[in-house]
Amino acid sequence: MARSDTTKRAGLLAILGVIGPGIIAASAGNDSGGISTYSVAGARYGYTMLWMMLAMTPSFAIVQEMAGRMGAVTGKGFAALIRERFGLRPTFVAMLLLLTSNAATTVAEFAGIAAAMELFGVSRLISVPIAAVAVWMLVTRGSYRNVEKFLLALSSVFVSYILAAVLARPDWGTVASSFVTPRIVPTQAFLALAIGLTGTTIAPWMQFLVQSNIVDKGISVKEWALARWDVIVGALSANVVACFIIITTGTVLHPAGITIQDAGEAARALAPLAGHYAELLFAVGLLSASILSAAVLPLTASYAICEAFGWEAGLDRSWSEAPAFNGLYTFIIFAAAAYILVPGLDLIAIMLLSQVVNGMLLPFLLIFMMVIVNDRKIMGRHVNSRFNNVLAWTTIVVVISLTAALLGMTALGIG
Amino acid sequence: MFYLTRMLGKPVVDAAGETIGRISDIAVATGEVFPRVTSLAFLGPGKTPFMLSWRKYVASIDDEKVVLNATKDALRFSYLQPDEILLARDLLNKQIVDTQGMKVVRVNDLKLSESRNQLRLLGAEVGVRGILRGLHPVLETIAERLAKAFGKELRENIIAWNYMDLLERDLSQVKLSVTHKRLHELHPADIADVLEQLTPAQRAKVFEHLDNAQAAETISELEDAFQAEVIGDLGAQRASDILEIMDPDDAADIIGDLPYDKAEALLRLMGVNEARAIRSLLGYREKTAGGIMTPEVTRVTEDMTVGEVIDYIRKEASEHESLYYIYVVDANGRLEGVVSLRDLVLSEPGTRIADLVSRDVITADVDDDQESVAETMSKYDLLALPVVDETGKLLGIVTVDDALEVMEEESAEDLEIATGTSREHGPLATAWWLIVRRNAWVGLWAIALIVAASVSRDASICSRMPAACDLLLAAATLLPIVLRAADEVSSRTISELIDTTPGGDRPSFIRRLLRESGIGAGVALAAAIVAFAWVEISAAAQGTVGIVFALATGVAVLVTVFVASAFGEAALKASDAGKTPPSSLLSFAAMLAGAAVYLGLAYALGAWIELG
Repeated sequence: MARSDTTKRAGLLAILGVIGPGIIAASAGNDSGGISTYSVAGARYGYTMLWMMLAMTPSFAIVQEMAGRMGAVTGKGFAALIRERFGLRPTFVAMLLLLTSNAATTVAEFAGIAAAMELFGVSRLISVPIAAVAVWMLVTRGSYRNVEKFLLALSSVFVSYILAAVLARPDWGTVASSFVTPRIVPTQAFLALAIGLTGTTIAPWMQFLVQSNIVDKGISVKEWALARWDVIVGALSANVVACFIIITTGTVLHPAGITIQDAGEAARALAPLAGHYAELLFAVGLLSASILSAAVLPLTASYAICEAFGWEAGLDRSWSEAPAFNGLYTFIIFAAAAYILVPGLDLIAIMLLSQVVNGMLLPFLLIFMMVIVNDRKIMGRHVNSRFNNVLAWTTIVVVISLTAALLGMTALGIG
Repeated sequence: MFYLTRMLGKPVVDAAGETIGRISDIAVATGEVFPRVTSLAFLGPGKTPFMLSWRKYVASIDDEKVVLNATKDALRFSYLQPDEILLARDLLNKQIVDTQGMKVVRVNDLKLSESRNQLRLLGAEVGVRGILRGLHPVLETIAERLAKAFGKELRENIIAWNYMDLLERDLSQVKLSVTHKRLHELHPADIADVLEQLTPAQRAKVFEHLDNAQAAETISELEDAFQAEVIGDLGAQRASDILEIMDPDDAADIIGDLPYDKAEALLRLMGVNEARAIRSLLGYREKTAGGIMTPEVTRVTEDMTVGEVIDYIRKEASEHESLYYIYVVDANGRLEGVVSLRDLVLSEPGTRIADLVSRDVITADVDDDQESVAETMSKYDLLALPVVDETGKLLGIVTVDDALEVMEEESAEDLEIATGTSREHGPLATAWWLIVRRNAWVGLWAIALIVAASVSRDASICSRMPAACDLLLAAATLLPIVLRAADEVSSRTISELIDTTPGGDRPSFIRRLLRESGIGAGVALAAAIVAFAWVEISAAAQGTVGIVFALATGVAVLVTVFVASAFGEAALKASDAGKTPPSSLLSFAAMLAGAAVYLGLAYALGAWIELG
């Protein structure tokens, strides 16, 4: 694979050589579900939630960093490490949950594609099948290098959200102060949205993704010093984009008192208030985010599952070499696309399912991760520092309590 | 047989019958072909780990427990020795990789066997069975029953311990050593089996470790599909050296599969004689007697004596592939008779060949189909069959190994046609493909239903032409009738492909069409009645629409039968031309055509009614 001689290169070139895994993984996190959540947060509460994004950023970065470090040190994916450290049964449960959550989230991505293309006046009967085939071709016919370039290009489209925010002309002073003034609206809806915000920012599949990308790219321990910046910067920039989405809808929709349900509605609502270009930029961002995630989500699940059970996997493997791998992602992509096309199926239910499963999966994974990343037999001298551990455990405790709250509320039908 | 995952957690009982702990691990001594189990590790009360010598203390083992031969107080505990490894800690769940560091498989379980009171490690279970057993033994039993119900066997997939090698003491990875150390000890056929499992890059690595003679033999043993690929990947000089060593007929087979310029380059690098032999073989059609024969044949004349012939064989024919028969030819090279090696050896050196020769020779024509050649050889129990041209001139012989290969190839081909699979995929892929193929019509139906449902919900179309949308939905609902008809016709073609040899007798296209449309008409009538009833009952439309729709259904069935028959005829023609027609594509194409006709007809009809 692409085990290039990055260590020999110096300066900027060396950094460019390892760029990719972290940025792609973090960008994929701003998927259609994420954009919807951020849009709704801005529309409903203005800039109020911006401080949470700031507070979440170090946690997000540190979780991504740990996953990337495990990949660079061991040369194995997260699923492989779980299997080797914890045995078959926990792995099986984790993989089952991962498959369910990724498949459900992929459905949401195709919904995002359909919504974005409908903003351009293209029927979903046309856009979704084309997108499914295109994504599938990209992954089956492309090499890792090309796929990575394409995904990076898609990630850069996220700049459109920053442009959209600028077009909305916010009061930057108020925006800046919102970042540092923690405010809470004491309602259940606010709490539910806060939990949703956390869940979509630190989604479980992103750790699998960043780690397998690092392994796939052949980044070794030596290169990690540079690659970790790719991971950390990726996490930061993904959250910056998320903040700009909140700023956009917070500036335009919140004062006008317009309530929205998802990203498509947000884009449509932007047009009369912030101009047609803002709508266009918003739609383009939604489209590329959804395509990016529709490509990487099935891939992540297939990689992880094949790795856990010892089946051949890899973008450059043919059908006969890796039938399970190819079969899995083909199935996820087309099943998800078909779900969108079948009329009358409930999209809200599948989004809810993905949220609930993700919520169940995340605490397990974070705890698995902490055990592995602190195991000297596996990580050698690259185990967590005390600072890392304190921050990571704090994150875990917060995430688990928020998730428990979300699950409880979902079960009781509140929010 | 014992499996590690089932042994873990089972009680350890001492001689007094008291349970003193539960099995936590088992140690084996490395360095043996099938390593002995040397120590038993168990967790005592309070999860205290203990280790015992297996040889000294274990009295017996069964599925439920391990019984020791001493009481709790008489046990002396031991420690892990440097040459011992713990199965659960060091091997279970680990990945087995080959020496190039490419992924292969993960150890799902370890299989042990008891022989002469010794428990030995047989190997690592790497298949689905191990995963199921590890999850819960009941799952394995269920899967086994299910597989049996479908007439399949759920096979174990075990990598024998002697193929594994612990390259690193830290045991983070178990490496597969087969590409290096023990390669030379394996039979070429075994090496070929291993090679077929590897990727092209890995295969090239393995060939670096083989000398030319080994490489030649190994390549001969490879499946046809791999041969040309492997030769193509080797350097030109080495490839031609290896081809030179191989039997000319095998070499010709491989060269025939290469692209023209590559083949030509290789032939130029070879010795003149070898190249000539191969070139002359390349002139014959594939899959005929000429295509599989070898030109290396021992030719003698009638006037020679037994002694002279034996001398001749020693000098000239020592490198020939097959020596069981010596063929007697006249001055023009025409085949006169045959002498067996047996007769030759049993006769006096002075005996004339003319006295021994048997003139009743069974021969094959150079254009005979390879399958019939193999059948002839098996019928007359021949080790070699001479191949002659139309003037009776001896061109070469087909040897028994090639005949066996032909039989294997043909039966595999029949299987391929029957199941619509290709051998290049593993058994798992084959099974999957079989399921996909058998149920392709369900998939098509589902797609058609989704399309029809989506269209009928699209207000912009259906507000203008509601009847067209209704009929489209009705047609999509009844689509399986058409799909099954297409599938039936295609599968009849496929069985015909298997039964008849290419170019053999079979009914003409017109007769086939008549036969198929006879059956088709019956189906069409039944379908039309069902369609009429459906429209009437579901009240999708009123008045004459039901009758018109029924008519459309019948027509669609008939058209589908015609189209499927035409496709079948094309496939049979292709088979005559020596190609293997893609049988799965055959029924899929027929079904697709049928679906298009039916849905299109229904929609057009609806639109027509609507517009006037």
